[in-house]
Amino acid sequence: MSTTALAELTADFEQPFEALGRDAVQDQSTVVISWPSVPIEIIRAAGFRPVLARGLPLPTPAADAVLEPGLFPSRLRQLVEAALTGRLKNIAALIVPRTSDSDYKCFLYLREFERLGDVRLPPVLLFDLLQSAGPEVPAYDRARTAALRERLSALAGRQISHDDLAVEIAATNAARAAARRLGALRRGEPRVTGSEAFPLLAAFWQCAPERYAALAAAAVDAFAARSPLTGPRVLLVGAPVDGTGLHRAIGSKGGTVSAESSAFTSAGAGEDVSAAVDPITALADKYRRDSITARLPVAVLERRIEDAVAAVDAVAVSLPPDDASFGFDYPRLCEFAARRSIPHAVLKGEPALPATAADLERIATLLAGVVDRREARVG
Amino acid sequence: MADKQLQSSVAAAVFQKQWFAELRRRVFDERRPYALLQADVPFELFDLLDIPAVSNQWWSSLIAAKRQAPQFLDAMAADGLSDQLCRYCSLGLATTRYPTVGEAPWGGLPTPRLLCARLTCDCIHRVFSLWAEAFGAELFEIDHPGASELPPRWWELGRHRWRELVEPHRLAFVAATLERLVERLEAISGRTLDRAALRERLERVNRQEEIFDAARQLIASAPEVPVRMTEQIANVMATQWVRGTDWALAHAQNFYDEIRLRVDAGKAACPGERARLMWVGAGLWHDTDFYTEFEASHGAVFVWSMYLAFGPDGYIRYGIDDPIEALASRTASFNEYLHNPPWAAEWIVEQAREHRIDAALVLHPKSMKPSATGRRFIERALEEAGIPVLPIEADVVDARAWNPAATRAAVRDFLDTRVLA
Ligand code: SF4
Ligand code: SF4
Repeated sequence: MSTTALAELTADFEQPFEALGRDAVQDQSTVVISWPSVPIEIIRAAGFRPVLARGLPLPTPAADAVLEPGLFPSRLRQLVEAALTGRLKNIAALIVPRTSDSDYKCFLYLREFERLGDVRLPPVLLFDLLQSAGPEVPAYDRARTAALRERLSALAGRQISHDDLAVEIAATNAARAAARRLGALRRGEPRVTGSEAFPLLAAFWQCAPERYAALAAAAVDAFAARSPLTGPRVLLVGAPVDGTGLHRAIGSKGGTVSAESSAFTSAGAGEDVSAAVDPITALADKYRRDSITARLPVAVLERRIEDAVAAVDAVAVSLPPDDASFGFDYPRLCEFAARRSIPHAVLKGEPALPATAADLERIATLLAGVVDRREARVG
Repeated sequence: MADKQLQSSVAAAVFQKQWFAELRRRVFDERRPYALLQADVPFELFDLLDIPAVSNQWWSSLIAAKRQAPQFLDAMAADGLSDQLCRYCSLGLATTRYPTVGEAPWGGLPTPRLLCARLTCDCIHRVFSLWAEAFGAELFEIDHPGASELPPRWWELGRHRWRELVEPHRLAFVAATLERLVERLEAISGRTLDRAALRERLERVNRQEEIFDAARQLIASAPEVPVRMTEQIANVMATQWVRGTDWALAHAQNFYDEIRLRVDAGKAACPGERARLMWVGAGLWHDTDFYTEFEASHGAVFVWSMYLAFGPDGYIRYGIDDPIEALASRTASFNEYLHNPPWAAEWIVEQAREHRIDAALVLHPKSMKPSATGRRFIERALEEAGIPVLPIEADVVDARAWNPAATRAAVRDFLDTRVLA
């Protein structure tokens, strides 16, 4: 059962995006999103299944011909490739959240390809969730969330009611609770490696919530019996990752990623969607507060990192070539790590591709430093 | 540097230097507040509340033009701020964060009371947070809601039907944020914003931009371009930061009059011009000589950049019953007008036709990620309109990786093989 649970959850994370375009009937009930900052509760309440775009080590010739180099992360290049090669033609809708400037530009580009007659696309929607701290923002987000519900209701051909949403919220909260239990196994003395944990946590977004809750519970049981891992625990920060490339690279040098700054795995870290206010407000608030994106205020991100850093031995900062923003956090991160005497290293490769030799070297040096310090402490 | 052909250009440079010296005097001697703003923030609100404002991009361009950027950029890199991060809006931060590594122009920026930025690109929140922290000053952010509806011919809609140009929820959001900004500025200045004065100021901005519009028409229609692009930019920039003031209106008029005289007298920037060029993107501030380089060798003259054209097309708002809303409608979509599909390409092709452009040089800013987007749509639209395009890879303030000789050779080759052949 447990191995099945691990395999099934991993498949629920890995496969859906790559499988688009293979099964027209399944695609018709699919809504693709470019980053996990869109309320999946609304998508599900409309009767659709959410599938997330992901960075992959696969070529993107059609996208490369139209996207400027160095500006779009792998997941968006893959998304545009899928759009231009007809793999999205049967899906119900594509939702691009205002998660980063690249996402927003990708939204404008896709609409333009269609306007220019380059490709026919399903409805492409912008989910304009703002995350800055201004007092006008919550009402704006609430209205955008309500507008999303209306658009999805129209696409589904039936109105999504508050009750429909309440049911989905309850089910998804139960899945969140399961993700939290799973996430807890990475803290303190981790019993699960980062590359195992990431897909299991990230599957939350694409797996039906009841199924997720059951499979995650089974995974927890399986891991609880394991003995703790002894390698250095690494916190992965910088540009949020959407896959396990860096986890595997760190694992290959004897460390384990015990936490990362990524919206894919933050579901388990965040709180439930509140049942105390109306569902639209509750969803808007939850996704604004907890979605890890390039638009999340630095102070909020720093608090999260501060919480996570207490339980790690080293920090790896991913600043891939397309990063236009997280790099500005680096001096603060350095000071922060120095204050706590935690070593850190910058990884510069594209996380969707196999780690570069230079990054592997940086990881090895980082982890060697941790081992030396541990030995010094023991000695 | 090529000699200035217009008296107005000399006057504009003198004005800016004096203005900045006066700003420093007020801040240091009288302890009066000033603000440091991103270029797309409504400067009018600050000026009317007696809080003079410095534009960050203008400050960056000045540092670059004074050839001081490399030292500051090296200091950023040494501090771990990698070279792939955008420099245009962070170079100013570097002059504050690493004050000793280079010489900031004109004595440097005093400590502002407030920094204010629109959160267009993702980096802005971070750059301005770091900068506010370095100054120990307050930061006011104007978030940038994304556009889903981008109706055709924005530059026409914007004048009279500006409410239709911006989706109602975006307009309301930006207007609400500007109202909050006004409250903050009122608290700082101890004065109350006079709404009638704001309306009047926006009307004066309209007048200024109408003058620029007329100047643009002269430039577009004269047999040969009467004023160099670099001088167009210098005059427009100096006025835009103080737009709608007495000086700005008078200066715009002088600028126009001088061009009119030159056109009437048949004076050209590059007599015997053979190719009319357009520059697409922000200015190459560290090497403005580049723009006059091909006049003697090829009779190729830069006629157009966004700076003059964007004044009338981006700023004019008629029917200002609610001045804050009018300001919001201007502010909400700067980035979309200038960089993004479908708006940027549509406008630039229209401008190219109006200015009888023979070829376009399109900036590919390596690190300025959001402003680097949309380039391919612009290039495609220009080529489809029969205008050959040469992409120019460069950073507008960072000269370190710029190869002036190689780029000039590429332009000459482009002119020989695609434009004048
Ligand atoms: S990306 Fe745009 S806003 Fe950001 S620093 Fe560069 S030019 Fe400025
Ligand atoms: S991205 Fe464009 S609009 Fe924004 S500040 Fe930079 S140059 Fe100006």
